[in-house]
Amino acid sequence: MGREVAGSCLDGVVMEMVSAYCGRFYAAKPELAAGRIEAIGFQVGHQLSERYTMDRPRFTDHLEAIKFICKDFWSELFKKQIDNLKTNHRGTFVLQDNCFPWLTHVSLDPSMESTDATESDPALLGDTAAQTTSMLLYFPCGIIRGALTNLGIPCAVSADMSNLPACSFVVRIKT
Amino acid sequence: MANYLAQFQTIKSSCDRVVIAVEDVSDLWLNVRQSFEQRLPVKKACLNNKARNPVFVENLPAEFIQTTDSRLRSRFPQEQYLFWFREPYATVVLVTCEDLDEFKTILKPRLKLIVQNDEREWFIVFVSKAHPGNDQATKMAKKVYARLETDFNTKRRERCCKFDLHGTDADFWDDFDSKMVDCIRNTLDRRVQFYEEENRKLSEQRFTPIWNFCNFFILKESLAFMFEVTNLHEDSLREYDELELCYSESVNLPGKHREFGGLDTGDDQAALLNPGFKALTQIIQDDVFREFEFRQYIFACQAKLLFKLSRPVEVAARGYAFVVGFSKTLALHENALPFCFREVWVITACLGLIKSTSAQYDNGIVAIDSEKEFHRLQGDLYSLCRVKFMRLAYLIGYGVEIEKSPVNSASLSMLSWPKPATWPSIPPDSSAEIMTKEKITLQAKPREKLFNIQRKPLPLEPSFLLREANRRRAFLSVGNMSELYDSVDGSGLDAHSKLPSNKSSSNLMIRTMSGPATSETSLPVDRPMRLSEIHVAAEHALKQTISDPDFMTSLSSPEEFENRYMELTKGAADNYHRSWWKRHGVVLDGEIAAIFFKHGNYDLAAKSYEKVCALYSAEGWEELLADVLPDLAECQKILNDEAGYLASCVKLLSLESSLFSSKERQAFQSEVVRLAHSEMKHPVPLDVSSLITFAGNPAPPLELCDGDPGTLSVAVWSGFPDDIALESLSLRLSASSSADEGLKAIKSSDARVLVPGRNIITFAIPPQKPGSYVLGALTGQIGKLSFRSHGFSQDGPVDTDEFMSFEKPTRPVLKVRKPRALVDITPAVSSALLMNELQWIGLIVKPIDYSLKGGILHIDAGAELKIEESQMIEIESYRSNGEQSGPTDASKALSSSSEPGRVEKVPIENGKIKLPDWASDVTTLVWFPVRAIDDTIARGTSPASPLKHSIVDGMRMIALKLEFGAFHNQVFERTIAVHFTNPFHVSTRVVDKCNDGTLLLQVILHSEVKATLHVKDVSLDLQAGFEHLGNGDGRPTSSLFPLVIAPSSRAGILFVIRLSGTKDLDELENSDSMMTIKYGISGDRTTGAHSPVPVKPDDSEELLFKISLKLKRPVLDPCLAVGFLPFSTDCLRVGQLVNMKWRVERLKDLDEASLPDDEILYQVDANPQNWMVAGRKCGHISFSKAQGSRIEIAVTCVPLVSGYVHPPQLGLPDVGEANVSCNPAGPHLVCVLPPTLSTSYCIPA
Amino acid sequence: MIVCVAVVGHQNNPLYLQSFTEADDALKLHHVVHCSLDVIDERVNNPKRNAPTLNETFLGLLYPTENYKVYGYLTNTKVKFLMVTTDLDVKDADARNFFRKFHAAYVDAVSNPFHVPGKKIASRSFGARVSTIVKSFGSGTTV
Repeated sequence: MGREVAGSCLDGVVMEMVSAYCGRFYAAKPELAAGRIEAIGFQVGHQLSERYTMDRPRFTDHLEAIKFICKDFWSELFKKQIDNLKTNHRGTFVLQDNCFPWLTHVSLDPSMESTDATESDPALLGDTAAQTTSMLLYFPCGIIRGALTNLGIPCAVSADMSNLPACSFVVRIKT
Repeated sequence: MANYLAQFQTIKSSCDRVVIAVEDVSDLWLNVRQSFEQRLPVKKACLNNKARNPVFVENLPAEFIQTTDSRLRSRFPQEQYLFWFREPYATVVLVTCEDLDEFKTILKPRLKLIVQNDEREWFIVFVSKAHPGNDQATKMAKKVYARLETDFNTKRRERCCKFDLHGTDADFWDDFDSKMVDCIRNTLDRRVQFYEEENRKLSEQRFTPIWNFCNFFILKESLAFMFEVTNLHEDSLREYDELELCYSESVNLPGKHREFGGLDTGDDQAALLNPGFKALTQIIQDDVFREFEFRQYIFACQAKLLFKLSRPVEVAARGYAFVVGFSKTLALHENALPFCFREVWVITACLGLIKSTSAQYDNGIVAIDSEKEFHRLQGDLYSLCRVKFMRLAYLIGYGVEIEKSPVNSASLSMLSWPKPATWPSIPPDSSAEIMTKEKITLQAKPREKLFNIQRKPLPLEPSFLLREANRRRAFLSVGNMSELYDSVDGSGLDAHSKLPSNKSSSNLMIRTMSGPATSETSLPVDRPMRLSEIHVAAEHALKQTISDPDFMTSLSSPEEFENRYMELTKGAADNYHRSWWKRHGVVLDGEIAAIFFKHGNYDLAAKSYEKVCALYSAEGWEELLADVLPDLAECQKILNDEAGYLASCVKLLSLESSLFSSKERQAFQSEVVRLAHSEMKHPVPLDVSSLITFAGNPAPPLELCDGDPGTLSVAVWSGFPDDIALESLSLRLSASSSADEGLKAIKSSDARVLVPGRNIITFAIPPQKPGSYVLGALTGQIGKLSFRSHGFSQDGPVDTDEFMSFEKPTRPVLKVRKPRALVDITPAVSSALLMNELQWIGLIVKPIDYSLKGGILHIDAGAELKIEESQMIEIESYRSNGEQSGPTDASKALSSSSEPGRVEKVPIENGKIKLPDWASDVTTLVWFPVRAIDDTIARGTSPASPLKHSIVDGMRMIALKLEFGAFHNQVFERTIAVHFTNPFHVSTRVVDKCNDGTLLLQVILHSEVKATLHVKDVSLDLQAGFEHLGNGDGRPTSSLFPLVIAPSSRAGILFVIRLSGTKDLDELENSDSMMTIKYGISGDRTTGAHSPVPVKPDDSEELLFKISLKLKRPVLDPCLAVGFLPFSTDCLRVGQLVNMKWRVERLKDLDEASLPDDEILYQVDANPQNWMVAGRKCGHISFSKAQGSRIEIAVTCVPLVSGYVHPPQLGLPDVGEANVSCNPAGPHLVCVLPPTLSTSYCIPA
Repeated sequence: MIVCVAVVGHQNNPLYLQSFTEADDALKLHHVVHCSLDVIDERVNNPKRNAPTLNETFLGLLYPTENYKVYGYLTNTKVKFLMVTTDLDVKDADARNFFRKFHAAYVDAVSNPFHVPGKKIASRSFGARVSTIVKSFGSGTTV
């Protein structure tokens, strides 16, 4: 299955990018690294949305767009859909993924220096695994933001991981 | 049946209301007529529409007609059916009767007779003439009416109502109305049913040869008309729509040819709003209507109904579609129609639609979005009209008047030429006109634009008119049609329009050619026409085509044309502005502006042009902008609106460089420069954000410490085609942190030249407040013109994320840190140095990640301390406490320069040291030689005279000042204390006393320094009253030199002396004996005292130390001994009471003279700053004279200061000092610990 | 034949405009395309009318005149594709098909790392691809 290979390869790329930014380029200032990673995600999402919304009718409202993100977009990316979508109908949406593919390899075990793919970079061993994992989430956040922005919905996206590998993305639409 | 058409039309025109027949049985009509007719038109009626749904119609027009009336008599039955819509819808039977028998015998049968005809809808009105006063008659009338009801009412339906001539009542009329309406409704239903039936029958015959559209039409329209009469407009409209549909299906059937029409005079005036434009009989031709007229007729009927339904918007919408569609139809038959017939018709049609719809629209109210819709349609109509009009104008040679703008080009250059069968040829004796046309075309020269921009004018013609026209010349067309067809591109002619074209074209000849046929020969057949000739010919042909004179006048002269053109353009623009289609509106404004411009009305022109430019530049359509902007610039130049003109030039420059040739761009720049250096009345700041952009360098922001200046290099992109000289250029930084911390202007080094493209410009930044700064604006001066730019360059190195999220780069370019310690200087020496010797003082200079490059260290040694400037300063890199730092002294320093910790010698001039560059970033150790001067002779101590002086005497202060930073703007100041001391502290005691009076004097040398001392020689020369025993060279008895004294240890030396002759005491008092010690020292300057710096190379290592000792003669017979008893508590604390005890013992009794009897005076003296004496300071105590008797004196005091302080001393003033032996009287110093924090005596030490 | 195709960004800024007329009168086509944006605005902002095509990407015939037609296509990302043609009977299916291919080409073009988002598309390969699509227009080849 080509996709399998491509998928794991992509995982590797993501991990490596995150570690490169957090570890090497901006080891000192994690918030800067986060910004950069998010920005990369933004660009990626921007282009993907262009591609994945081809020959589908335009969205009439925000909810539709979000649903698109949850269903088609997500399955294009991860071959699975967002598991749960909540909204307060006032511009805030919570997209919960019970098993986010990019977190499946992460194991939060502070006791040992994990030999996991995410932790492989020596520069990362400094900061705790939790930080690293949260770093991993800036990229998908950026993707979501980029996609929505390109769909004409300016928004802010944040993520939090309650218990791995589940995590939820919070989309706040700027009005 | 078609021959009924004429009759049908007359009937239709004659009757326009519902007819109600009045059967006046008993001659009552005249009495009741008036009151009846007051009920008309029927206020409210509920009728059924075609779909059998009840519809409420108001003011249904109706008319009472007596059955005896000629209009209702004598009609043939089948025409009755055909024109049923005109038959009565209801029959009112008017009866009256007073007598019951009469009713039975006469009236009833007669009524039966009337109402038996079931076709009619009827009801009976019983009129009672009975006077209300007349009870008899009234009763009778009631009876008869009751009878009437029983006879004629059925349970299904009441058909009777009673009307009192005198004193009528309201409910009768309601009754009457309802009955009437019932009748009308029923009739209507029946007739609708009938017509539908008929229609169905006919429709079945469709596509069969016997099918006849005309019949179908009559039936359909009858129905439609009936609906119209009964105010059921919707249904009527639907009928017409079906009719239209059916027609267009039937008319386009191939096969037998039909006349198209449109050849009568006046046909060029579109009649699509005037149903009565032509009699139907005129336009019918073997059972089929001519398309040209009939379509217009149908549309007219629809429009009429829509207006009645007050739906002008729909009329406009349908109208526009109709015009466009119909113009296509006209194109099919164009070669049969007069020259340019199609264009003319479209123009008139549009104008007509605009006129009527807007008129209807103004007195109606519509929803907002349909309003926008309406205006859009109007705009479309206007612009369609406008295009056709321009086309006509172009044909007759006004092309030069038409602006060759994109909009005109778009609408004209893709619009095919008219395709007459033959192009009109030149009328005779028209040479004069030809000349004039020639002149027009010759005179018209394209106005050269500003900045002499050369552009190929956009085409206004699909193909060259000259070729097109000549190809369609008459002599070509007649005869070889085939050639003509080939030439016509497909759209024109298809099969069924082929045959007529021969005939039609021939009669076209007759119409278009003015004058007799011989005129053909007026120009030789073979010569192709010249353009001007074509124009003239076209004009003449048009004169033939256009029947409306004032339309023709609008084409009579360029001026006239222009007025009409203006009017149409304005109309289109205004309407578009009020619709969704703003862009259309604005673009047309541009066209209007062009006219204004031509007439020198530059002000208005500029206004419109500005709108257009604003639109284009807002959405970044630079090609279009580049087309208009020069015009705007020209207006502004003429109006000498300098600000606007400059702005336009800058805008032009900032457009894509591919849009203009370099010469043009240089022209723009030269304009800018010219204005900048000229005297401007109102010098204006110019925004060049689009032209001059700038960005900070991609590297992380320049970081400065508080108060540091710096230089910031910024990349500036110049969009000017050539170098441009700036008078000045300055950059504004805005603090990103706080908004109020406004803009900081940074002057760049004065005048400079910006080359096209990238320039790197460095700005000197004066010290800024702490915070982070982002690029603000770039301001500068070109000549007298001050410009500013906010343009953050995109093509510059932009920070990725900002760039990706499409935001303005707000990356700080400068960060100024909060004030902090940049350097630290601490003394390196840990313990005391030698007093009066040249000693190294070490300073650890530690930069705190800040470069000390070019730093200067000022050393200001106070009094009593002298810096030996003849010596070089030694600077060595300091390796922190971990490994041992630096070599011990100069010699080793030199040797050690090889090892990583490098050493450099630098001179010191009047207290200033320049730090070497290598030392700018590393921690260094600066050694400089000083001599602490202390001219007081050190004093030894003996039991008799305890030590008085404190360590403070040895302290020396050094004020340091380090100037560093790029411009020595950073200053670090500190004063450090260095402790100097004598090598030794000497104390003496008499260890033994022999009977022969010789004494063993022990001299104890305490080493005061952290260095090993080698005592080489000691000599003591005694004071008067003492003398050495034996050979009197004051050497110690034991000569064990050199004597080595380890750091802070002690050594003793013995002298044998004796008293020499007695002198009076006081002389003894003020003479000291001197001790001279020759010694050497080996120490480490990093820890403390060390061998002095050799000033001259031949300096010996040997040092000399003199100290004065005081020997006390009375030491020999002390009679009292005072001893200090140890403290009760182990430690003293500030604020804690402590008991001080001394014991006084009588060693031997004195001779009475010297002492008073057994009283003794004591006093405690203590430094009041250090001690608070609680008890009595002094007093008498009794003390027996017996030898060995002892007493204790106790004083309670409180230490006030922590640290090493002198304890209180007990003194016995009465007893001569010589008679008191203290061994010792108490410690020199006692240690007082700081208070426990709770105490209220807490005083900082 | 198609005389002009254009891509217009979400701020109505031209991203790509290619005319296929031999004469250098592209400017008029710029004008046509620009004005056609009015119709798109109307369609989008004024949903009362043309309810069926409310949120379909293919906007159909925008702008019929008697000499040329403008077809429009509006993506989810508010990017507009326009096509100006002079042949007067165009099958909707053909137009849809054309736009689908055009859109695909565009998506690939913006994936080009050298493409600056929001700036004009300058890639030569895109141009080539578009012209082939234009050539194949109406020839019923559905991809």
